[in-house]
This record gives sequence, structure tokens and C-alpha cells, in this order.
Amino acid sequence: MNLEKKRILILLVSLCIGFAILIGYLSYFQIFRAEAVRNNSYNKRLWINEDKILRGSITDRDGNLLAYSEATDGIARRIYKYDRLYSHVIGYSLKEYGKSGLEKSYNSYLVGANENTAINELINLINPTGVGNNLKLTIDHSLQAKARELLSGKKGSIVAMDPKTGEILAMVSLPDFNVNTLIQEWNTVSEDTSSPLFNRATQGLYPPGSVFKIATAIGVIRASNPDDLYNCTGTVIIDGKEFSDSNKNGHGELSLDEAFAKSCNTYFATKALEIGHSELLQIAIELGFNKKLEVGLESSTSVFPTDSKGDTDLAASGIGQGRILATPLNMLAIISGIANDGAMMEPYLVSEMTSPEGKIIKSQEQALIMQVGDSNEITRLKEMLREVVKTGTGRNASIKNVAVAGKTGTAENPTGKNHAWFAGFAPFDDPKVAVVVILEEEGSSGGSSAAPIARDIMIHALNNVDFNR
Amino acid sequence: MKNLVDGRLPRRLLLLFELMSMSLILLYRRDSLDIKIVALAIGLLVVVYGANYILSRLSDGDLYIFLIVSMLMSIGIIMIFRISSDLGLKQLLWLVIGIGAFFGSYFMITKLSFWESLFPVYIAAAYSFFAMTLILGDRKHGAINWISIGGISFQPAEMTKIILVFILACFFSGRDKFSRYKYADYWMMGVIYSFIGLLFIQRDLGTAMIFMGIFTGLQYIYSNDRKVIRANIGLFTIGGIAAYILFDHVKVRIMTWLNPWPYIDNKGYQITQSLFAIAEGSYFGTGLGRGNPSFIPLSYNDFIFSSITEEMGVFTGIGIIMLFMILVYRGFKIALRQDSKFYRMLALGITLMFGLQSFVIIGGVTKVIPLTGLTLPFVSYGGTSVLSSFIALGILQGASEKLTREEIR
Repeated sequence: MNLEKKRILILLVSLCIGFAILIGYLSYFQIFRAEAVRNNSYNKRLWINEDKILRGSITDRDGNLLAYSEATDGIARRIYKYDRLYSHVIGYSLKEYGKSGLEKSYNSYLVGANENTAINELINLINPTGVGNNLKLTIDHSLQAKARELLSGKKGSIVAMDPKTGEILAMVSLPDFNVNTLIQEWNTVSEDTSSPLFNRATQGLYPPGSVFKIATAIGVIRASNPDDLYNCTGTVIIDGKEFSDSNKNGHGELSLDEAFAKSCNTYFATKALEIGHSELLQIAIELGFNKKLEVGLESSTSVFPTDSKGDTDLAASGIGQGRILATPLNMLAIISGIANDGAMMEPYLVSEMTSPEGKIIKSQEQALIMQVGDSNEITRLKEMLREVVKTGTGRNASIKNVAVAGKTGTAENPTGKNHAWFAGFAPFDDPKVAVVVILEEEGSSGGSSAAPIARDIMIHALNNVDFNR
Repeated sequence: MKNLVDGRLPRRLLLLFELMSMSLILLYRRDSLDIKIVALAIGLLVVVYGANYILSRLSDGDLYIFLIVSMLMSIGIIMIFRISSDLGLKQLLWLVIGIGAFFGSYFMITKLSFWESLFPVYIAAAYSFFAMTLILGDRKHGAINWISIGGISFQPAEMTKIILVFILACFFSGRDKFSRYKYADYWMMGVIYSFIGLLFIQRDLGTAMIFMGIFTGLQYIYSNDRKVIRANIGLFTIGGIAAYILFDHVKVRIMTWLNPWPYIDNKGYQITQSLFAIAEGSYFGTGLGRGNPSFIPLSYNDFIFSSITEEMGVFTGIGIIMLFMILVYRGFKIALRQDSKFYRMLALGITLMFGLQSFVIIGGVTKVIPLTGLTLPFVSYGGTSVLSSFIALGILQGASEKLTREEIR
């Protein structure tokens, strides 16, 4: 082959490689990128249909209307009955700024009628009905309103659920925003440093503080002797760092049960070392750390460090400080799992989807995430949680005539003002409601500020929520 | 050149394709059937089938390139008609004129033999086209590459591309003649760079890239002095960097190529709209008439590929790329079989032109390379583009035949 022919062939091959790159990129784009590009809110195609389609309505568990659409002059308009109450759960659907919350995650159901089978999609394509499916939530409207009222003026979150089913009964995050005026206020809201657009219940990552002692307690039961007495002197120095108790004089001689009720830091910090990092990590994973908990909303994953960074770090982990971070929803799943005898149910927000004609298209099935601990551990842990409210740090959560169990937490954080936690459930013998309250940078203890709010939530839930729908 | 397969079979397959796509158009417009659609349907069938038939009688050269082009222009005109029926009919008219020009250039290239000796004429013609553009030019879509004479708009650069191929073919095939002059290679390079510079002034970056590509490709094959090639590549690199630093419109192209999303409602509007359309199309497209290609600016012109992908799917898009790949393959094959050096170079230059132009614009609208405005040959709407592409194709057709009267070098 002469030089000219060789060069011609090289040129041909390079052009063909160029075309092959185009084909390769188009395939890559279609497989991996197209979905995200298509859903960009600047894509006018997303809206051309939605202007004509009436989004389905959203109701609470009792059928109270929360959001619906109305057509005026052929243009669909979304109406939210409550300005702020559902700003993080239902979210918004705005042409200008996109979608959030269930409006986003259930968009295809809200705009599309009937089941999403191939045949129905084809029928829909040829003859669009113009009305979307309806959603029925697990939320109880009166409990939701109560939760927001109890939280008002504070920063933080309240989440409540039925521990036996996983139905979320209330989910409030403050500060929030007004969905009906969001367009006008977008700049102020989106730039607000207190992050009102952020759903603290599912996205907020907080050090769990003493609530995490639930995990450490399981570790003590498994790896150490829970009946061994420990002498608390108020402080303990681990690897040069001092861990101290709120009670500076010390709690004296303690078993696990007493240490848990009094939330003794020195006890759990010391015991964490006996348990060891890998065992504690194992328990944290069992409780849902380092794994995404999906409820159809933007959410973060709770973190338990997978690497060991020495004794000080491990001791801090034992009392829920250090590098551990948890979402309120995750803590709710944990306390619910214990309430439900170790069966951790998957939390969910939407119970049913119905067609515009009222036919049920899909109902959410209750799902077990996993079985936590063995029955001995859980029975003992439940008794310990009961004792916290009866005689320990959580006394402010107790209700007359109803046995409440729970755990308080006061989490130190870089702002210097403690987060106040309470996670609990009631009634003790037949748990119907589990609740988590976190007050961000409240500056007081979980027992004094979060526990009374949790109590009021549980009272309201037990009196008003129809659990047997 | 003897055809291995009976030429009638692919022609009939093409007819089948045309019939099916026409029924699709009829179905799409079933509610508003009018004379326009019928005219388009019959017109396209007659033109495409007729032209292929006549060609098979006339030429003993490569019959596949015209079949490939028929396929491309059919897909193109269906899409253009779907976007605007008036433009569709106009495009049909342009195709008829273009096919006429194809036969015209085919005859002229095969029957006349003075093409090799017109080097100074080509140079003069190229510069006068540039001068015309600069003096009479209108700015359209950011580039000054249109001139209007008596109400007819015209893009001289489309024609200059073909002239460039002739200039290069003359130069490289007549090396003996030119080697009398000292630094002939550098003089040639200077001329080509002056063209590219003029295109830069007109802000016609796409065409500038094609000029550069054709020149570098032919230089790579035929220049014995490798120093010149190194000089060319070095100059190109320096020029590219200088252009990026000096010209804002070049910088914008690069920025919106690297990440168009922050500029979604201004500088990055075109490319993001194009990506939306391609994403919307998915594998099989939304179906003819069911997408929204009108959201893309210049949907029937520079961005026709995105419009086609939206409604006919990425598989059709890949099909179009493959058609260009086969066209390029046939073009190179024609060159390899051609004994006359001059015609061989013409074939190579034209094939490079089709190949590079389709690569640059498809790569541009899919964000593989920075976007520069160009038409997709045979597919995009536009008189000058259709005309110049068919003239070039006619030359390629001529070059595919055995031209015995040429002295074989």
C-alpha cells in the first residue's frame, strides 16, 4: 500500500471514529443524562401539558382536602388550602421554581390519570383526560396543626407515626414558608439563612445526643454485663478528654437501667469503650444508620462513622456526640421499631392513590424494614424507656392514666446552644403513637423543653386520631 | 465501475421508505388534508424515484451516494414539513432545483476538462465572494454570511467551500507546476488562512472550522513537506487560543459548551433547548407531530438534528449519523478508485466537507463539541445549503466514474 492510500485510510478511520463518538455520546446521554435534563424546570415541555391538566387533589387520612386544582379560563391553578402547614410535606409546584415535596415525587401520578401501564399510557397519549390522580395521605390534619402550633416560634421538627404500621401522622419543620405566596417571596425565602425551604424532619442532620444511648444500651446488653455496677463521679477522663455529667456531683453506683433513666454520660462513654467501635457500628447500622430512609421526600442519610478514630471519639459516639448525625425521621423509625417489639416499619406518607373517578389505583403496603434486636433486648429496653418517663429525665412527658416511654437527649453542637430531643411512644402496653421532637439550638435540656411538647402531641393523637381507619 | 448488486433493489427499498413516511405525514395531518400535502407527497416520490432512475441510466459510477442522500433529504423534508408546511413545500422546490444542479454539475465535471487549469480563477472567485459578503452582507443569527440580491437571500460561503476544494485540488495535483515557486506551500497556507480570517471577521465560525478541516486533511495526505503541516497545526493552535482570548463570541461558545446550564436563559439558551428536545425524544421519539420541536430556535435549520431526534427518536438520530458515515465511506472509496489525481482530490475534498460539516453540527447540537452554526447537509432547510450540497454531490458523482481522457499521473 502506498503512502497516499495509507493516509487516506487513516483519514477515513478518524472520521469514522468521530461519528462513532457521536453515536456513543448520544447513547450515553439517553441512558444516563436524559431523565435529569428532561425534568429541568426550564424545559417548557414539562409545562405545556400541565397547563391543561388539573393536578389531582391531596387529602389527609380522614379525607380533609389539603390541596387541589381549579381551571380558570382553561388554565389550571393549584390551590393550597393551608399556607404553611404542609409546606414541607406537600411542597409546591411552580412553573418558575419547579416542584418540591410530594408534588415532586408523586408528580407523574398527580398529572397522569389511571395506572401507569403501557396500554393506559397509550390511551392517555391519544386521548388525554386532563385530570390527574388524587393522593390520600397518612397525615392527620388536626395533629399536624397541633404539632405546628406547639413548635411555633421555635426552630426544629416534630414527626409522629403509628409504630405498628409506619403511617406518618404528622410532620412539621420550622421555619417554614407560605406556599401560596412563594412566587413573590422566592428571593427572601430562598436566601434566608434559617433555611425555611429545608425539611428538617427528613433532611436535617443533628447529633442525636443521649437519644443514641438506646444503641449503646443494646451494646451493653450484648457485649457487657448490664447488671454490673458502675460508680459515677460526675466526670471521667478518656484518653485525655473529660466527659462530664449534667449532675456534677455524680450519680454514684449505677446499673444499666439506672444509668439509662438518669442519662448518665460517664457510664455510657465508658461502656462504649467496652463495646468497641465495630460492635457499636453494627448496632447503629441495624437501627438504620448509613442507609437512606425513603418516604418520597428529599432526605438525608443518618451517619455513624465507619472508621475508628480512637477512644475519645468512640466514647463520644457512646453518648450520641462526636461524628454521629441523625435525621429526626430516622430517630422516629428507631423508637417506633422498639415500641413495635423490634419490628421497624417503613415510614410512609401516602396511603392511597385514587383515579378521578374514585377508583383505588394503588394503596401503599405496610413494609417491615427490619427486625431490631432480639426479644430479650427489646423487652428490657422498653422497660428502661418506660423508667425514663416514670422516674428519670423524661418525667415531663408523662401523661395521667397513660403509660409513656421515651428517651430525652440534649445534644451539644458547634453553635454552643444545645439541641433538645425527645423520642417516645404511648401507650406503653399497646403503642399507638410514636413521636420525635427536636428543638434546634434551644439551649435547654430535652427533658425540660422537648418532652412536654411530645406529651401534648401524644395526648392529642390518642384523643383525636382514628388509628383504625 | 460495475455494481455488484442490482441497482433496482435499493431504489425500491427507498421507494418503500418514502411511501411509509408519506403515509405518516398524511396521518399526522389527517384533520387538515389539503393540496399542499398531496403536492408534497407526490412531488417527493416523483423527484426521488425519478432522479435515482435517471441517474442509473446515465452514470456507471457509484449509485449509492445519491441513494444515501435521497434518504437524508426525505427525513429532512418530512421534519421541515411537519414544523411548517410552507417551508416544506419551499424545501421541495429547492430539492428539485438542487437535483437539477446535481445533474448540471455532474455533466460539467465529466464532459468539460479545463477544471484543472483554472487555479487563478478560483482564487479570484473566492475573494470576490468574500468581498461581496463583507460589502453587501446582512447579519443573521450572529454571523454575517447572507447577502440579498433582488430579494433572494444567498450565502456565498456555501459556494466558497466548493471553490476551496477546487483550489486545493489544483494546488496539490499540480505540485510540479507550483514547485517552481519558492515557499509555494506556505503561500497556499497563507491564502487559506486569509479565507479563515475573513470568515472569522464574518463570525462564521462553523464554516471557518470546515475550511480548516478540509485544508488540513488534504495537506496531511498530499504535502510532502511535513514541516508545513507542523506549522499549520501550530498556527491553528495559537490562532485558536488567541481567538478565545480576543473574541467574546468565541469565549461564549466554549463556556456554553463546558456548562450551558448557568446561562440557560441567555447565552446557553440554544444548546439547552436542543438538549431538552433530544432528551424528550428518548429512543423512539415522541412520534411525528407529538413533540415540540418549535421550542428549539432554528429548529428546521441548524438544529434540525435535535428536532428529528425529538420526534423520531435517538435511533433515527443514530441512523442519520450512520448514513453520513456510509456517505463518507463511499466518498473515500470513490477517491481510492479514481485514477486521476485531480479528481481524486476533488472527491476527497468534497467527502471531507460532507463528513466534517455533519460531524461539526451534530456534535454541536448534542454538546459533544462547541456549537457553531452550520447546516446539516441535505437535511436542513435552506436554498443555498441544498444547492451547494447537490453541486458538490454532482462533482463526487462525476469523480466516481472512470475518466479516461485524463492523463494518468
